[in-house]
Amino acid sequence: MKPAAFEYVRPDNLQGALAALRDHPDGKVLAGGQSLIPLMNFRLSRPQALVDISHLTELTGISVVDGAVEVGALVRHQQLHEHEEVRRLLPVLSEAAGEVGHWAIRNRGTLGGSLTHADPAAELPAAAVALRATVVLANADGQREVPAESFFLGFLTTDIQPDEILVAVRFPVPPADVRYGFAEFARRPGDFALAGAFVEMGGDASGSITWFGVSGGPERRELDFPDDAQARKAAFAELAAEFDTGEDAVYRRKLAVTVAEQAYQKAREGRR
Amino acid sequence: MADIASRPQFTGSRVTRLEDARLVSGQGRYLDDVEFPGMLEVAFVRSNRPAAKILKIDVEAARKLPGVKAVWTHEDCPLGIKNAGFDCTQWVLAKDEVRYVGEPVVAIAAESRYVAEDAADLVQIQYEALPPVLDVRTALKESTRQVHEGKSNVFFHRERKTDGFDEAFAAAEHRLSETFIFHRQTGAAMENRAFAAVTDPFTGRLTCYCGHQSPHELRSELCEMLDLPENMVRVVVPEVGGAFGIKASMYPEYLVVAWMALKLRRPVKWISDRQESFLADVHARDGVHDVEVAFNSDGTIVALKDHMMADGGAYTAVPFCGAIGETVTAASVLTGPYKIPHQATVIDCTYSNKTPLGAYRGVWGPIASFIQEGVVDRVARYLKMDPAEVRRVNMLSDEDFPYRNPSKMVYDKGSYLQSMEDALRLIGYEDFRKRQAELRKQGRYIGIGISVFVEPTASASSEAGSVGYEACTVRVEPNGTVTAALGLGPTGQGHETTMAQLIADQLGVDVTDVVVLHGDTDSAPFGGGTGGSRSGTIGGGAAITAGREMRQKLIKLAAHALEASEEDIELCDGKAYVTGVPAKSMTIRELAQLAYTNVKGLPPGMQPGLEVVARYLPPFRVSFSNGTHIAAVEVHTDTGKIDVIDYAVVNDCGNLINPTIVEGQIHGGVAQGIGEAFLEELRYDRDGQLVTTSMQDYLLPASVEVPRMKIEHIQTPSAAEGGFKGMGEGSLIAAPAALIGAVSDALEPFGVMVNAMPVTPAQVLAWVDQAETSA
Amino acid sequence: METTKAREVVQITLQVNGEAHTVEVEPRMLLADVIRHKLGLTGTHVGCEQGVCGACTVLVDGEPQRSCLMFAVQAQGHDITTIEGVTPESGLSPLQAAFQKHHGLQCGFCTPAMILTSEALLRKHPNPDEAQVREALSGNLCRCTGYQFIVDSVLDAAAQASKKEGQ
Ligand SMILES: Cc1cc2nc3c(=O)[nH]c(=O)nc-3n(C[C@H](O)[C@H](O)[C@H](O)COP(=O)(O)OP(=O)(O)OC[C@H]3O[C@@H](n4cnc5c(N)ncnc54)[C@H](O)[C@@H]3O)c2cc1C
Ligand code: FES
Ligand code: FES
Repeated sequence: MKPAAFEYVRPDNLQGALAALRDHPDGKVLAGGQSLIPLMNFRLSRPQALVDISHLTELTGISVVDGAVEVGALVRHQQLHEHEEVRRLLPVLSEAAGEVGHWAIRNRGTLGGSLTHADPAAELPAAAVALRATVVLANADGQREVPAESFFLGFLTTDIQPDEILVAVRFPVPPADVRYGFAEFARRPGDFALAGAFVEMGGDASGSITWFGVSGGPERRELDFPDDAQARKAAFAELAAEFDTGEDAVYRRKLAVTVAEQAYQKAREGRR
Repeated sequence: MADIASRPQFTGSRVTRLEDARLVSGQGRYLDDVEFPGMLEVAFVRSNRPAAKILKIDVEAARKLPGVKAVWTHEDCPLGIKNAGFDCTQWVLAKDEVRYVGEPVVAIAAESRYVAEDAADLVQIQYEALPPVLDVRTALKESTRQVHEGKSNVFFHRERKTDGFDEAFAAAEHRLSETFIFHRQTGAAMENRAFAAVTDPFTGRLTCYCGHQSPHELRSELCEMLDLPENMVRVVVPEVGGAFGIKASMYPEYLVVAWMALKLRRPVKWISDRQESFLADVHARDGVHDVEVAFNSDGTIVALKDHMMADGGAYTAVPFCGAIGETVTAASVLTGPYKIPHQATVIDCTYSNKTPLGAYRGVWGPIASFIQEGVVDRVARYLKMDPAEVRRVNMLSDEDFPYRNPSKMVYDKGSYLQSMEDALRLIGYEDFRKRQAELRKQGRYIGIGISVFVEPTASASSEAGSVGYEACTVRVEPNGTVTAALGLGPTGQGHETTMAQLIADQLGVDVTDVVVLHGDTDSAPFGGGTGGSRSGTIGGGAAITAGREMRQKLIKLAAHALEASEEDIELCDGKAYVTGVPAKSMTIRELAQLAYTNVKGLPPGMQPGLEVVARYLPPFRVSFSNGTHIAAVEVHTDTGKIDVIDYAVVNDCGNLINPTIVEGQIHGGVAQGIGEAFLEELRYDRDGQLVTTSMQDYLLPASVEVPRMKIEHIQTPSAAEGGFKGMGEGSLIAAPAALIGAVSDALEPFGVMVNAMPVTPAQVLAWVDQAETSA
Repeated sequence: METTKAREVVQITLQVNGEAHTVEVEPRMLLADVIRHKLGLTGTHVGCEQGVCGACTVLVDGEPQRSCLMFAVQAQGHDITTIEGVTPESGLSPLQAAFQKHHGLQCGFCTPAMILTSEALLRKHPNPDEAQVREALSGNLCRCTGYQFIVDSVLDAAAQASKKEGQ
């Protein structure tokens, strides 16, 4: 398990990285490497060139601007998990980041990498969808912004173009009366989840659930949460029935209901 | 002469390990740390088909790649591995046909593993697919394609029945049947397998480095298969990062690498990566058992019947064919600690297009335990009796020993019933039952599982070969320090400490003054190695015997030098004293100098120097360790997750050499038991592809899955030197049955009796569902 | 911008255990391989090359990271600590001594990474409880010990350190 040879490009700054990417149409961005390098070690991925952005400090910031938390693409999962402002303003994001892999993985894996890799069982893509985040993409010619919900296109696919770098993710700070809950189930801590859910609840009974791990990508559904537990679970089950779960369909759908209910209970407890 | 062994200073005490200082500081030398100038690294192109004819292999592009030294196919290395008991050869590089995914087809030696893998990418193989045979029931059908053309898929068949079985079975008041299923697993040591070979240009000798459990066995096999005399081959086992049975086998890669070193005249090494490890290390536990039990209303079990079917994989591994071990040995102790008078077994071992089956810790044990405990639990549930009570009714008691079980195995004395009663107390059985009843009312499901195990240890033949004895040399160096050497193959068990404890007590020296060598066939005396829980008992016996011989020599020497009688000499604190005259003494160092340098000062007839070699053969065919594991679990009926919430072990492996090391072995085995019961499964898809080839798919227990364990010891000595019994496998033999039993107990309200390992969360929810829909 | 062609070798300088090492590597070489085979620091072990087993864990700027999931070229400019770097010139570090005292290792293959991860944990949380220790070590697999004695080792090292602190 050793990676195939590649051309290695180490730009000095974001502009350089974007230029390099334009000049290497068959190149790939290297951020934390926690998804890309395992694939390369297995030789399931053999990029001709790697444009290493892991050292670009311009993409490592977390700031609160205009009622939104802007998180740089290279913010590590562990940083996101521990960041004071993120904990205060977006507790479910912090909580979800703490569930990604193991400590050593979180110390290196990045938000941008997680979103671009778009593993269907990944926490952070679903968090971005649930929290109505906006993804900021740049290429050598400029920037564009895509709502998270339309960024994810299915199993390991996103709207990002080969010449683009995801530079930041903007999470709007939710209104005071909106609460969130997050829950997931994995065989062992650190494993990719078999199912997970974010629940968003408005002041009234309305809200949404964003599932992950149950199909090709984050699945966001609006609904009014019934007060009655049986009715609520039935509503979850009805939504889950639509998912293209692949293997273990019956089990995955059941888990979807379980994690949705757990997330709902946490949201009820009043976390934002 | 005072008897040192009667008041040992180190034997039985919690001596901290002598090997640790180098290991905790990263100074241990494992195989990948062995390097020589000019060393080539090997990568294999492995079959990606479960069954296919090889039509063509194109290696041209690979050969041309810069940095590549050799690209070999069968023609370049026409060696084979053959288990003498069976009519089946595995060519080390496949010839004409491949029979499992992962079978080596092409070998590449290059200047680095990176380049070797680049070359492997360039090799093209054309196959013509054959229909794969993927499970034992299919393999048993006459109409199924033969995995080895012209040979029956059933490579082993045997039927045994006690006299009067049919009558007893028919006469019993009740009968139940169940099919027990064991999914494939493997040892998955943290260090992958590896092999390196280098020739000495002057002597022409071949030195092979390999993380192996039986250095001498490996040498014998290499010599036989490479056709070399044994004095021309040296096997060196460096530090080994865990083995658990998988490193007791001969493997195709080893012969290829050795052959390359000889032919290419370069040092060569191959380090398995983790993907290769899952594909090509021996697998274990692939069996189906159709079991029937006959019993009476008071809970007594009178007869047990098992059609034991094992899927042995594509070839019969050398030296130890796992399918045989997992059936024949299971059959020999299938009734475990229960006095079941009648037993009937039919054994079928078959070929399939899967990786060969070899040894994994416990081998037959987790299988037999699960069946034996599963049967008892089923009887208890059927009769609405307490599972502990049914065990009491059937358990061997003190007056039964030596006990001859229905397979004619003789159990030496143990503490079966006591171990169970102690374990029940440790776990708080009565309180648990109360708590269980309360929690059930709240919709929470906890359960308890009891596993009373027997562990045949220190037997004459095991996966470590069929050498029934072990040998030890003890040398007191001229400066009085002690060097011992054994033919064992420790892989983490701490022999450098335990063997030193035994020898130090014989010689009256400090344990840190004894260095124990192992694993080098040039320095270690011929021995069987480590496997089958034999090292402590047989190796320990050899260490004591050699130590005692050395002690006798030292005493003789001291008596002569101090002008005292031998009876009055005492060895203690690194000195020889005359009893009652403490001033009259000599240090071991002084004695050693005398022995080596003052030939005239020796007693008449004594050879100069201080070196002995002793062999030890235990006075029995096998000695039985025993004990009880009790697991408590909570099963979450919303996710299917199983948490182990409490765990108690009462263990009896005879006299303890080092309780801490014994407890470490138990902890590790229980952790593996958790993997075996709940997490680990090598899954093949319908096309015969192994789909669990990474550690993200083959789930090993991590720190959060394994609970704190309560452990107590009972010591019923064996008849061996020191009174030791083996104990390396007991914990993995017992744990899965306890854990699975606990799940069955927890899910009793749903009518669940688990019959397959591992239990997955999806399975749990399916059961719960089924019960709810049918309710 | 620096560019290295495929299969070309570059010279890099790595700061490992407080010392600068200049080595020639292909960009595709994993940090684990360079530490082991170019620097000869073989206390870092490789068990899966996939980020799961944890045996290759080293400290990068004081934080545990997988050296099998990083190219050596990326480690330039960072402080790398391996097990050799936390071993005193003579004797053992408190954590190492605790592992020996509590039998926190058997084959020793997982041990260097266990110790480094624990080292980082104790720096961050000097008085962890058992659950914290288990969580922090959950990315380091051990096939031998069943973890109990490892957890005991770490808890005892923490207790000893805070006792010292208190004095
Ligand atoms: C053992 C293990 C367990 C894990 N468990 C989990 C888990 O439970 N949950 C989970 O979500 N993840 C898990 N991961 C994956 C981890 O979260 C990764 O960190 C993450 O998916 C990828 O981030 P990265 O920065 O490492 O990206 P990389 O591996 O560097 O890149 C991933 C992909 O994204 C592209 N890319 C990266 N950054 C950018 C960017 N800014 N712009 C454009 N393209 C970019 C790369 O070209 C590549 O295709 C695990 C990984 C391991 C090894
Ligand atoms: S080798 Fe890096 S995590 Fe296993
Ligand atoms: S001590 Fe062997 S893997 Fe941990």
